[in-house]
Amino acid sequence: MGIEMRAIIKKDISGITANKRMFTALLIVPLVLMVFLPSLFILILHFAPDEMGDLEKLLDMIPHGTGGGDLNTMVIILLLDYMLPVFFLIVPVMTSSIMAASSFIGEKEKRTLETLLYSPLSLRQIFQAKVMAAFLLSMLVSLVSFVIMLLVVEIEVYITIGSLILPGIQWLFILLLVSPSITMIAITLIVRMSAKAQSVEEAQQGAVFLLLPILMLLVGQFTGVLMLNIWILFGLGLICGILAFVLLKKCMRRFQYELLLK
Amino acid sequence: MNAIQLDRLSKVYPGGKRAVDCVSIELQPGEVFGFLGPNGAGKTTTVKLLNGMLMPTEGSCSVFGMDPAKEPEKTHACSGVVTEHAQMYDTMTGLQNLLFFASVFGFSAAEGEKRALALLEELELSEAKDEKLSAYSTGMRQRLSLARALIHEPRVLFLDEPTSGLDPESAQNVHTMIRRLAQEKEITVFLCTHQLRYAQEICTRYGLMEEGRLLAEGDLSELRAKIGSGIRVRVKASGVPAGLSFHRLEDPKLDCAWNAPVFETVVQSEDEIPGLVQRLVEDGERVYHVSAELPSLEDIYFALTAKRMEEK
Repeated sequence: MGIEMRAIIKKDISGITANKRMFTALLIVPLVLMVFLPSLFILILHFAPDEMGDLEKLLDMIPHGTGGGDLNTMVIILLLDYMLPVFFLIVPVMTSSIMAASSFIGEKEKRTLETLLYSPLSLRQIFQAKVMAAFLLSMLVSLVSFVIMLLVVEIEVYITIGSLILPGIQWLFILLLVSPSITMIAITLIVRMSAKAQSVEEAQQGAVFLLLPILMLLVGQFTGVLMLNIWILFGLGLICGILAFVLLKKCMRRFQYELLLK
Repeated sequence: MNAIQLDRLSKVYPGGKRAVDCVSIELQPGEVFGFLGPNGAGKTTTVKLLNGMLMPTEGSCSVFGMDPAKEPEKTHACSGVVTEHAQMYDTMTGLQNLLFFASVFGFSAAEGEKRALALLEELELSEAKDEKLSAYSTGMRQRLSLARALIHEPRVLFLDEPTSGLDPESAQNVHTMIRRLAQEKEITVFLCTHQLRYAQEICTRYGLMEEGRLLAEGDLSELRAKIGSGIRVRVKASGVPAGLSFHRLEDPKLDCAWNAPVFETVVQSEDEIPGLVQRLVEDGERVYHVSAELPSLEDIYFALTAKRMEEK
């Protein structure tokens, strides 16, 4: 990758971080989902454990041998390995949607895209640089939220239970497979929308639909219909990965001067 | 090699509108070509075709031998484009914008900065270089766009209404700069405008467009020959002898300003003027003022459009 594409990636990322409104949105969602919610959960578990009584049915569904027999430990495992991954997936989808909407539709709206198209970069390179910028920022925000979440949860767990409970192997699949693929899908869908949407807001509203499958996953978790085991995650990641690849190819074909400047 | 070549270039939009209709033009390097016509004449579409942003429906075009429809990146590498629709980033400063576009054109940070600062200086934007673009006036934005288009020292400059929205003074400055660039750096300029008066000051050749068709093309004298109208001679005198084809201008404003009747006639060459004056003097008329006026670009344009209306 030459300095031309790096310049676009850098510009797109700093364009978001310099925009206070967008940057706040980028930070608040991960904070609420990854720090505030699990902390609340752990605090309730510690100070009012009776409120958690209904979780016993769920706890029965957790594969045996994943933890000790202690109820609190089991609840923490349920939180850490089965609920937080679903919350976590919302982070890259949100981040990449905000970023892609701003970098594709925002530029079209502000008439800066045309200037970029007059550069000696091919459309493919511009497309790749922009997708890459959204992807990188999204991955960075996700990773940072994961690390902060882990730190906060572990500290809280240590204080309330007295020992550490490390996250399960599922997280590896989530971080390396599911989250990148879902991010790619979100980006390509936003770029597809960029042909029709006339404003950033319009595209971001469309991105809400992306969250529906994730919310269904969350419902699945709570009702016990679909528990996130490694194989389900692997399959899910693989399907999303293939889907992302296909969508990206299709999206690239639609990325033409004439369609972009309509 | 021609700097710019259009060969029976046509563009029909999906809705069926024929925006450019069989236009052929050849431009030599270093020419300042005025592409003139009212809004909707097909000027912007032609610029987009020449930059590969649109695909021609029929015919072809090339920029220094490169077909923008087939290799737009290569065309972009040797051309700079200033249009109303190509804006820069409001959240960045003038300098940051130029540095960004310099790196998009493949220049290192140091080289980009050198070029950007030189251009900012040249375009009198040095003082505002660290201000956000959102604080720039329309004139400053236009000048910055020009700097952006020049950052890679292009061989061709496409300017689509570069002075629209500018006050007369800023417009004059931009035009002076365009003329200087063309002369000093031998840049071929493709200037789209509907401001005929400015175009006449800076262009070496013209193409007049109407409804997608090229009405006429050539330098000023060629265009004058096309409309076949001669030199308009105005005389302020006590009277004119009968037999000469003078007619009196009845404009009360003129009478008031000139304090004597004003007569006008048309001659085919300047050589006829001394004879006319001599006749007036010999007839005992007192001559206060004689002026000869060649048809301006505006006159030519209106004459041509009128002619076309008649043909229709």
